[in-house]
Amino acid sequence: MRLQHFFKLFFIFFLTYSAHSSESMDNRVKKLTLELRCMTCQNQSVYDSDSDYSEDIKILVKEKFEEGLNEKEIKDFLTERYGEYILFKPYFNSKNILLWLFPFILVIVSIFILIKNSKKTKSS
Amino acid sequence: MRKIILITPLILLTVVCLFFLLFILFDKDPNEPPSALLNKNVPFFSSINLYNDKENILSDNLKGKYTLVNFFASWCTPCRAEHYLFFEIQKEIPELFILGFAHKDNPADSKKYLEIEGNPYSFVGIDQDGKIAFEFGVFGLPETFIINREGKIIFKHIGPLTKKIVEDEITTLF
Repeated sequence: MRLQHFFKLFFIFFLTYSAHSSESMDNRVKKLTLELRCMTCQNQSVYDSDSDYSEDIKILVKEKFEEGLNEKEIKDFLTERYGEYILFKPYFNSKNILLWLFPFILVIVSIFILIKNSKKTKSS
Repeated sequence: MRKIILITPLILLTVVCLFFLLFILFDKDPNEPPSALLNKNVPFFSSINLYNDKENILSDNLKGKYTLVNFFASWCTPCRAEHYLFFEIQKEIPELFILGFAHKDNPADSKKYLEIEGNPYSFVGIDQDGKIAFEFGVFGLPETFIINREGKIIFKHIGPLTKKIVEDEITTLF
């Protein structure tokens, strides 16, 4: 009787665990594929697209997660082959530094000039 | 002087915007995604011969010769449009090794397609699960690559080749 209870509990635990792990895997795939551009669509993420290309990428991402790769490693794998164009959010690296920093530089320079100018106006 | 200082950020912004605009207009075609594998080594692959399942080809086998790699399929209509050009390329550059990959295609359909259209390939490899195409960063058929003797990808074209592309961009490589 006790053994029967043990097996029941074990079965319930196994079902819950497998459902949870498959859900978390789906969430991981969803999270990453939302950040990837469908190369054959017009401004659509891989997750939102049903094109053959996107379906293949979804399968590939799932396979890579199952192989033990993390998000960064999968992104690197894809950008090596498809370029950074596949990422909606480009990497923060030496190639893109101007793209990322230019708005901030412009704001800082503008504020600096504005302050300097207002000081001059006050003193005059 | 104050006026100049005031409009400096605006001038700076205009210059940078113009720079980016010129960069986009003259250096890049916004309809064509950048080719990440250009000037990089050919990715590793292993593929079985469509006509002989005991024979296979490895990426290492391409070293020491110029190779044209073409991804095609019997279900791909634009592939038919460019197909005849490979015979012309073969005639013009006889030393070129033309490697075709039957991508996500039933081998029987690929054979039938090559029977009807003719077979310009030196070797036809099978890429039924699309894994080789992934390694090459392919996202639509047809796609064509040229690999030099050192095993580096020196040319990539997305979509069907045209006579103009062959004359202006491929034959000039040799």
